Amino acid sequence: MTTATAPVRARPAWMDVVGTQVLALIAALVFAGLVGGIIIALYDESPLTVYGTVWDFSTARSQDFARVLENATPLIYSGLAVAVAFKAGMFNIGVEGQYLVAMVTATTAAVGLDFLPAPLHLPAVLLAAVAGGVVWAAIPAILKVRTGAHEVVTTIMMNGIAISLLAWALLNPLRTSERGLVDLRSDRFADSALMPSLPSSLGLEDAIPASVHLTWLFPLALVACVAVWVVLFRTRLGYEVRAVGSSAGSAETGGISVGGTQLKIFLISGALAGFVGLNHLLGEAGFLGQNYETGLGFAGIAVAFLGRNHPAGIAVAAVLLGMLARGQDGLAVTTDLPREILIILEGLLILSVVIAYEIARRVALRRRQREVRAEEDRDAAA
Amino acid sequence: MPLLDLGAAIAIGLSYFTIIYLTGLGGLFSERSGIVNIGLEGLMVIGTVMGAWGGVRWGPVAGLLIGAVAGLLFSLVHALATVTFRVDHIVSGVVINVVAVGMARFLSTQFFGSATQSTSGVPDLGKIDVPLLSALPAGLGRAFENLSPVVLVAFALTFPVVFILRRTRFGLRLRSAGENPEATRALGVRVAPLRYAGVAISGTLAGFSGAFLSVEVNQLYQEGQTQGLGFIALAALILGNWSPTRLMLGALLFGFAQAVPLRLDDAPVLSLLPEQFIRMIPYVVTIVAIAGFVGRVHPPAAVGKAYEGAGGA
Repeated sequence: MTTATAPVRARPAWMDVVGTQVLALIAALVFAGLVGGIIIALYDESPLTVYGTVWDFSTARSQDFARVLENATPLIYSGLAVAVAFKAGMFNIGVEGQYLVAMVTATTAAVGLDFLPAPLHLPAVLLAAVAGGVVWAAIPAILKVRTGAHEVVTTIMMNGIAISLLAWALLNPLRTSERGLVDLRSDRFADSALMPSLPSSLGLEDAIPASVHLTWLFPLALVACVAVWVVLFRTRLGYEVRAVGSSAGSAETGGISVGGTQLKIFLISGALAGFVGLNHLLGEAGFLGQNYETGLGFAGIAVAFLGRNHPAGIAVAAVLLGMLARGQDGLAVTTDLPREILIILEGLLILSVVIAYEIARRVALRRRQREVRAEEDRDAAA
Repeated sequence: MPLLDLGAAIAIGLSYFTIIYLTGLGGLFSERSGIVNIGLEGLMVIGTVMGAWGGVRWGPVAGLLIGAVAGLLFSLVHALATVTFRVDHIVSGVVINVVAVGMARFLSTQFFGSATQSTSGVPDLGKIDVPLLSALPAGLGRAFENLSPVVLVAFALTFPVVFILRRTRFGLRLRSAGENPEATRALGVRVAPLRYAGVAISGTLAGFSGAFLSVEVNQLYQEGQTQGLGFIALAALILGNWSPTRLMLGALLFGFAQAVPLRLDDAPVLSLLPEQFIRMIPYVVTIVAIAGFVGRVHPPAAVGKAYEGAGGA
């Protein structure tokens, strides 16, 4: 028999959940830091120096932190894209291909729609990017809903197709007519298609040099975080998405169209993916070339897992990974360590976080079950 | 179309078949035990870099073995996460893939002084001609000349795999763990060790397959050289309905789809397409095959589900 006078619940249940998760996150960070520290120590370097370098290079001057935010910008979009699909129990491994195709469509609009009045040009380019991402996501989404083809396999294949499609577009329709160019690239975009720099719009040019490509896409990414939160937690679609994600069977019984919900959220995921390559395209290069960044879609998976698929967590996780990327530059300057050591650290971190969250979830679940059982015992006794 | 080209295309197709089939067989053991393993790609990546390193230092046999052992060790992370900690199988598999790419960059820097590739010329096992088949007329014989012995090993592996799964105590228990773990446990057999074994075999075969790619096929480690073949292996597994012999047919199909862009781009019709579109063929074939067949296959009943028995035992 449990204690007859059960303690009054001091905290609401959600606080328990959040508390356990924060504890899990801290435990995972400490664990990854310790294991990483051992690896670093094996290289005869001091872990504290290394972690200190990462921190200094990310935060010492305002331009360093601006670089971190520049790194974080595409990661927020790709993290959100992965997370919204995950909320409906689906894995969008195809963010990679979706943003490549979006870069092609955005370039097409930037080059082809330059007759538009200036204030309309950039929005048209953004719309084209969104359309590219949506179309590329629609194919695996429709196949999933119609035939049951697992989106993990099909989106990976769509990534492979996207790489070839971009190569073809760059060689044929988008290839610049400028003569005497060795590099394969598109025409340069008109200024009206470019994303304005954030520091110069805010009058911070003195502190943050033009080599930092922090643009309005960063605040827009934060807006996207809020928008995703609203959709997921304050709309009917979001409710359906979460219902389908936690139990497709119960959702169906409850009258929710599982396929329709999955299709809708996957298209939203593709739309978000459309923004991933834009900071490079519209904020840095100003044309589509061969040296576009790859792997941002896969990094988004890491960001989503680290951020617990929650928009706020994703923003934080993107900044964290942005710091690790910035720290790689620092390590090359101050230590003999291979810069790839931070990639290992990143991997360790993701693994520990995933496992720690799972343990935390089970601990919270077990505690809740115990409480319910105690309540039942009390009721039975009464 | 000259038959000589067809012969050469078949030869290339056989190499790809070997990669897809070996990795697919690995996936088969894992999924038959109840663990989805989309980390196969990452396990192959580890196999390529470790295999090339072992090959350069101690020769091709060592390279292949080291690739296999590295795949085994790395797959234990997946087993630990999914079996012991009951993390979602796909989440863990995705993490394995992401981590493997970073790990391969790190290892490549350590081994070869470059994050993305080794110097070419990793020693291989030496090529063999298949008796009789290599004497086929009209250029078709070329398909069976200069083959890596591992290709034949892959075909031969079918027999022990079928025997293990259908006739041995281990094979039957492994399959029961993937179909109905509660019943397995009720019969007094612990589920967790079986699932660990299934994942470990998948890691061994995927690592071996990766090492085959870097040591025997390319004689070079290169970042990204697995080209999503681990996922294509998964597709072959689905297409093959989780049966070794049907998996072989799926792997042959996907293997030859891979060879088309490399050797048959001069063939009628195909030659009208731009090169980049021909390169899409293997991926398109995979998508079409998966979408067309997935409704008609039956995965192991308990695959992807955590077994909630005491301590996962």
